[in-house]
Amino acid sequence: MSVIFSIDAPYRGRYELHRLTYGSGGPSVAIVAGLHGNELNSIHAVNMLNKMLRVQRPKGTVHLFPLVNTFGADQAQKRWPYDDQDINHAFPGDPDGSVVQRIAHAIFESSQADVCIDVHSGAPHVREIPQVRAPMGGEELELARSMRLPVVWRRPGIRLEPTGLIGAWRSAGRKALHIVGGRGITLDNRLATTMANGLSNLLGHLGICAQMDMGKMSVTADVTHAEVETHRAGCGGFFVAEVRVGDPVKPGHLLGYIQSPIGGERLDEVRAGRSGIVMTVRAYPMIHSQELLVRVAGT
Amino acid sequence: MSEMSAVIQVELPSGDKLAIVRWRFGHAGPGVPRVAIVAGIRGDAPEGIRVAHQVARALEDVEDRLIGVVDVYPCANPLGAHQGTRLWPFFDVDLNRLFPGKESGHQPDRVAHALTTDIRGATQVVELRGAREAFSEVIHAQVRERDSAAAELAMGANVAMVWTRKPGPAATQTFAHQFPGTIVLEGGTGNRLNNTVGQDLQEGVLHLLTQVGVLAEGDLPFHWAAMNRPVMVDDSKVFRVRAEQSGLFLPEFEVWSEVEAGETLGTVIDPESGMVHQTIQSPTTGRVMAVREHPVVYPGTMVARVVTL
Repeated sequence: MSVIFSIDAPYRGRYELHRLTYGSGGPSVAIVAGLHGNELNSIHAVNMLNKMLRVQRPKGTVHLFPLVNTFGADQAQKRWPYDDQDINHAFPGDPDGSVVQRIAHAIFESSQADVCIDVHSGAPHVREIPQVRAPMGGEELELARSMRLPVVWRRPGIRLEPTGLIGAWRSAGRKALHIVGGRGITLDNRLATTMANGLSNLLGHLGICAQMDMGKMSVTADVTHAEVETHRAGCGGFFVAEVRVGDPVKPGHLLGYIQSPIGGERLDEVRAGRSGIVMTVRAYPMIHSQELLVRVAGT
Repeated sequence: MSEMSAVIQVELPSGDKLAIVRWRFGHAGPGVPRVAIVAGIRGDAPEGIRVAHQVARALEDVEDRLIGVVDVYPCANPLGAHQGTRLWPFFDVDLNRLFPGKESGHQPDRVAHALTTDIRGATQVVELRGAREAFSEVIHAQVRERDSAAAELAMGANVAMVWTRKPGPAATQTFAHQFPGTIVLEGGTGNRLNNTVGQDLQEGVLHLLTQVGVLAEGDLPFHWAAMNRPVMVDDSKVFRVRAEQSGLFLPEFEVWSEVEAGETLGTVIDPESGMVHQTIQSPTTGRVMAVREHPVVYPGTMVARVVTL
């Protein structure tokens, strides 16, 4: 384990950015988690992968950054708490810039690898099935499928600004993917284990080490944006989900309903329009009109 | 008579309704100028909101004589203003990174879209801000680099300086970027009101209205000769000064005071022992455009801006 970057912090201990490196030579993989301090599944998944790597002899190089935003994690905050800046909007960073720009620069420079993975949890108000989610094709798509996470979502609409880590990696010519699972502020051990297995499957695919899942996992839904059915709230209220992520559904299946937060009167129902698996479910029930409630990935 | 309407009304989960309000003064029609004045895109800039209301009050007295229309949007982010937070609460997003917005997006996206749609076609757009959080700033106007007409117009905005800025990486998602020629007015202290700043900005906005031909000079509640005569600078004249040590920054200069190159702008001290970690010097001779008011700093934290005149 090495400290890639550190900086004095007023009123508290130094901030240190840790990188754990296994093996040497190619192929090389960099895996970053905890850019957002409240995304605990990503942190746990990478630490599980770290335990696995300790007992292996990798044929290649693996760089792990299990928790970038330690100060945010201390306070259950997504952003860097001092100035409320999102580290994932500060790439490729600046060694002479603000704190988050310096941290971003340190990550970007020390994560040079053939394949780069940015690991996240969902936002605190939604739960996501473990998935690879990015615009991708060719070799990146092959790498995404090799993880055998439940969903591979080729999502062309996602914004990949160069100020985000994935965008910066891709601008630098690296193969970069984004995986997400669970929800923010919450540790879901089962989903984090799936994410860790997916990461090990990727390493196995690249010939770096053995795979943890013993070949048990498989992609259930391999979808384009058009094959994902998104349900948004038709009105504000209190959403009660009737499904969990990973549930198979058929057309007409009740996904949930919106009720009045005072009195509980049912205001609307949400039903599946196609067959598939539930990939996203609203977890925080107070909802505004037009907010995301459920996504179904077609199968 | 002035007319109040909701640009968009969104429903909160509790059932409450939230309206983004527009006050319209004057009479719309083909060929008449329309000026849009927008404040409160970030909830921690009450100075801009105050000035928008002051301008609206001043326009009530002269509305019959306006040539064209003035639309005042006093607060684009009312939930943020309610809590004094920069971001849109709950969604935790910066409204000023969501423009032009999405009609079918989440609540702040729809607000951004509604504002963009409502303002599109305006002859002149003015965005009112306060100072950024943690800072005191001199009253100044910002316009986009190479937008020389807007820069010339901004010289009449009763500010100390007009800064022509190169667009940053996030510029395309900002409100000002959606409308070429937008003049952004800011100054004062983050999340605070200052009567002098409010008065100066109000008079600056009213004077801008005379320059674009909506308001007659004779209807100004002050004489135009009392306007500040600003200097115009570009990015090459503005120096960002950063701390290189962690600790507490103690400034030694007031905003807009003159400073020599190498002169001490402030010190960074250890928060526990009080020992001086760093003495921060001015990189140039000029004036202090902005000073950090919240003292906690890290290496890389901006503590001041100095402008060469």
